[in-house]
Order: sequence, then structure tokens, then C-alpha cells
Amino acid sequence: MGIRLYQEPHLRNPILVASWPGIGNIGIIAVDALRGVLEAEEFGEIEPEDFFYPKRVLIKKGVLEYLEFPNSKFYFKRTEAKDMIFFAGEEQPTERGRMYAEGKKAYQMANLVLDVAEKFKCRRVYTSGAAVALTHHTTKPRVWAVPNSESLVPEISGYKNTVLMSDIEGRGGHGNITGLNGLLLGVAKKRGFEGICLMGEIPVYLQGLPLSYPRASKSVLEVLSQSLKIQVKLDKLDELDREVERSIEEFYQQIPLEIRGQLDRLRHVAYAQPTEPGPITEEEQKKIMEDVEKFFKKRGGGG
Amino acid sequence: MNPVYPITIHKEPRLGRSSLVIGWNEDMGNLGRGVTDYLNRKLKVEEFAEIEPEDFFPLGGVAVEDNVARFPDSKFYVCPEHEVVVFQSNSPGAEWHKFLDAVLYVAEHYCRVRELYILGTMLSFDAHTTPRQLLTVANSAEMKEVLGRYDLARDMDYQTQSGGRPTLNSFLLWIAKGRSIPGVSLWVPIPFYLAAMEDAQAQKKVLGFLNERMDLRIELTDLDQEIREQNERLARVRSRFPQIDDYINRLESNLMLSEEENGELIKKIEDFLREGG
Repeated sequence: MGIRLYQEPHLRNPILVASWPGIGNIGIIAVDALRGVLEAEEFGEIEPEDFFYPKRVLIKKGVLEYLEFPNSKFYFKRTEAKDMIFFAGEEQPTERGRMYAEGKKAYQMANLVLDVAEKFKCRRVYTSGAAVALTHHTTKPRVWAVPNSESLVPEISGYKNTVLMSDIEGRGGHGNITGLNGLLLGVAKKRGFEGICLMGEIPVYLQGLPLSYPRASKSVLEVLSQSLKIQVKLDKLDELDREVERSIEEFYQQIPLEIRGQLDRLRHVAYAQPTEPGPITEEEQKKIMEDVEKFFKKRGGGG
Repeated sequence: MNPVYPITIHKEPRLGRSSLVIGWNEDMGNLGRGVTDYLNRKLKVEEFAEIEPEDFFPLGGVAVEDNVARFPDSKFYVCPEHEVVVFQSNSPGAEWHKFLDAVLYVAEHYCRVRELYILGTMLSFDAHTTPRQLLTVANSAEMKEVLGRYDLARDMDYQTQSGGRPTLNSFLLWIAKGRSIPGVSLWVPIPFYLAAMEDAQAQKKVLGFLNERMDLRIELTDLDQEIREQNERLARVRSRFPQIDDYINRLESNLMLSEEENGELIKKIEDFLREGG
């Protein structure tokens, strides 16, 4: 079990941007889009056999030709502003049917990713994922940012369209980041890396659907570009967003009118200031959450 | 216990070059357990090693099957006379690579295995009166060539469909290929209404091949008797329940049944056979 590097590029204090699939695939789409736009070059991988069950077999004329595993790959890009390493995991190494990585395997994988970061003298790590929020799909998703050190709070406070956990209504600065997108942040802290997790908001009623949510990936990328002081074109994400938008609208119209009426009120929630509570009271928020939960239970398995 | 692999060797076998037969306890038609039990009984094997369960199976309690508490077993048996090794096991629920690696470690280091035979089943919508087929997937062109001497279907094409995953047998075959151990997975289609029961016909099909391939010289006549008895029981259920007879007739004419009809057929057959037919 280990790392396989195809080449060892010369990089100047690179930053690492890592992501795995999760709700709405927000983080992984953002990372994929960024490395695609920058034309980052693949330079290594984590060997998959001990982490994953194979995902595809190919048998031709009675002979086993190929067995394919989920990828966990490293890419690099040198730019004038920053050198970058990207890590994209096609799956989280789950154990015993759980949805997100946890336990020994997840910890091993997080450490392997950071081993590569350390080898190239990287000292800052970004991860990204989803923040399930009481928002509407027609509004621009905010980005919840969680640093692994207090010293990063002032920097994050300067990002546009970004909130800290303490800015989120009713959270009092607390929360959880499930799976490897969160775990990597913790392991990075333990090993002395700076780390920031950027989570794009996804409306609560979309979290169980087998759909990507590229609108939030775009918000994440906008914040990441600010932080990295780079400019990237996001046309492809806009295109993807338009495609997904149609499926979301179709789904939205299937929600019973009574619940949809409640959700429609979220269209008008505009968070001009991070701490502004919006025109929906806490009681009303609770009612919406309960109605959405009931609807998904009735549908069976949340999506 | 071995410091690297979670295995316990009770007694080191003395073997030249052996063949390894692998059967999983959860197979349809009880194929894996049935065939390996049969080999163990006829070849008078001796247990010599096992894989410890804690890394691979949820050990939160025990499952009860047929009134008896079961515990996951992963045991190796040897018949030095025929140079045959049998591995009978529950299929692991986690750490699959580590588990399969441990199987092949025993195969290479203690058994000098030259060939690997992995037993598997697939669901069939044919009637039980259709003769069982034996399909094979080899992990090299050379191994496929060797199989050409036997009555087998050797030209399967298959690709995992969206949302599916490869079988544990493919995973094992792939790792064996990486270690240059020639191997083949043997697949028997099992009529869907016998999936939870014994399918003696399927077991005989596999045993017939292994018998010939490994020159075991086992008399399989007792299996013929079992097949006859099961066929008689199935004939009785058909004559007692005209609806069931109609369903099986339709399957024999290559017609599909509805989901509801499939369910009814499974239930009636299972109930009847469990009650002693």
C-alpha cells in the first residue's frame, strides 16, 4: 500500500488542493474544473488495491483482461502566482458499507496525501465539499470556510461570499465536516500544515438526490481563486450548471405544493451580511426542515 | 499467527505442486460449500490452516442458520495424495485485498499451488430440467487453452454494468494473475427458484470437471442419486400444484414469468423442498 510517483516535478512551495466525492460532488467538481482549466499534469497516484473494492471488470472471450479500481491521483501545475498540487480521489475508502470514509483506512489515505504534500515542501492544504443549508437553488450559494488554525480566520474573513461557521445562523461556530474532506483538514493540523476547507452551500432538499450541484462548485472556485490569487475561466461550470438546473427544476415541481410553498419562501432569503438572519424565523426554518424530511422519508431513502 | 498475514498454520503440508479449489459458503444452490464439502469428504482431507476472522467479518454476534449458530470460517484443507488443496470460506465483508492476498500467500508458500479453481454461480431463468452449463473465465490465454480439452463454455464476454461491481472471484483471479498463478473461475447458472436450496446438478457439473482435470477418480454416483431424488421431489410439486407446473412449463419453453409469478414459484418450491417434499 503506497504512493506511486511517475515523476518528481520541481515545485516552489506549492499548495495542495484535495477533494473526494460527497454530497452534490461540489468539491470534486470544483477541483476537477480547476485542474482542467489550468491543464495540470498527472504525476502520481495512491495504489488502490488496499483501499478499494474494484469498480469494473472486463472479460473478453473467456479471459479476464482487466480489473479497474477507483483512481486517487496527483496532478501539478506551475503558475506565476503559485505552484499547485491537486489530488482527486474518485471514491472515499469506506468500510462496511458506510457512505463516507472513517477509521483506519481514511486516516491512512489522508496521511499518504499529506506525505506527497510534504515531499514537495507544501505547507498549505485546501479541501472542499458541501454545506447542506436552508437555501433555495435559485440563489447564489455561499461558501462556508473552516480553517484548521485561528491564525487563518482574518484571511478567510476577507474572502467574498464566504462565511465562517460562527456566522451561520444557529450554529454558534460549531459543526462537522464528514468524510475525508474534513479528516484531511484535521490530519493536516496534526502534522503542522495550514488547512482550509471550503464548502459550497447546497439546498437541504437537494442533498439526497443523485445529482451534482455545480453552482456551488463555482462559488467554491471563486473563493479558491481569490485565496490563490489566480484567475480562471469558469465557462464549463456554467454550462454544466445549466444542464443540472433543468433536472433540479423537474424535481422541484414534483415536490407537493404545500412543501414547495414553504421552500419558495427561501428564494427571498438574501444574506447581505453573513450574520443577517433573513426573513424566515427559526420556528419557520424548523417547520421547513421537518416537512422536507417527511417528504423524503415518504419517497423512500431520500432520493 | 503469522506476523504479516492473519493466518494460523496448524500443520505444514508436504506437497509437490498442488491445485487449489476455492469455494464460498454463500453461493447460490449451495455450490461453493457443497462442492468443497464433497471434495473434503471423498478425498479425506486434513485441515491445516485458517485465516483469522477479525479483520474481515463483522463480529458483532453470530448468525443463526438452520437452527445453528454460525461463525465465519476460512479454512484450508489438504489431500497430499492427490496434491489438492481446498479453501472453504465465508466471503469477507471488508479488507478484501488483504484477505485474498492471505489466501494466495498460503497457496504459494505452503502449497506450491500451480493452478487455481474458483467456484461461482450466476442466476439463471432456465428451468431446472435444462442441463447445467459450466462457464469459465481464465486469467491468461494459456490457461484458456488448457481448458479447451473439456466440455466448457470458454468464450464469455462481460463488462461490469453501471452501478455494479466485479465479483470477489474476479478480484481473486486478478491478484493471482499479478502473481503469475494460472487460474480460472468456474460459473454455473442456477435456476432462480433453486438459488436458496441445494442444486445437486450444479455441484455434479463442477465436480465432474474437477474430477477429470485433477484425475481424482472419485465415484460421483451418490450425486446421481441426489439429483434423481431432487428431480422426483420437483416432479411431485409440479403434479400437486398445476400453477407451478404451468410456470415451469413456460420456463421450459423459454418464456419469461412476471415478477409476481417468479416470487410465487420460489416460495412454493422452497416451502415444498424444506418440508421434505
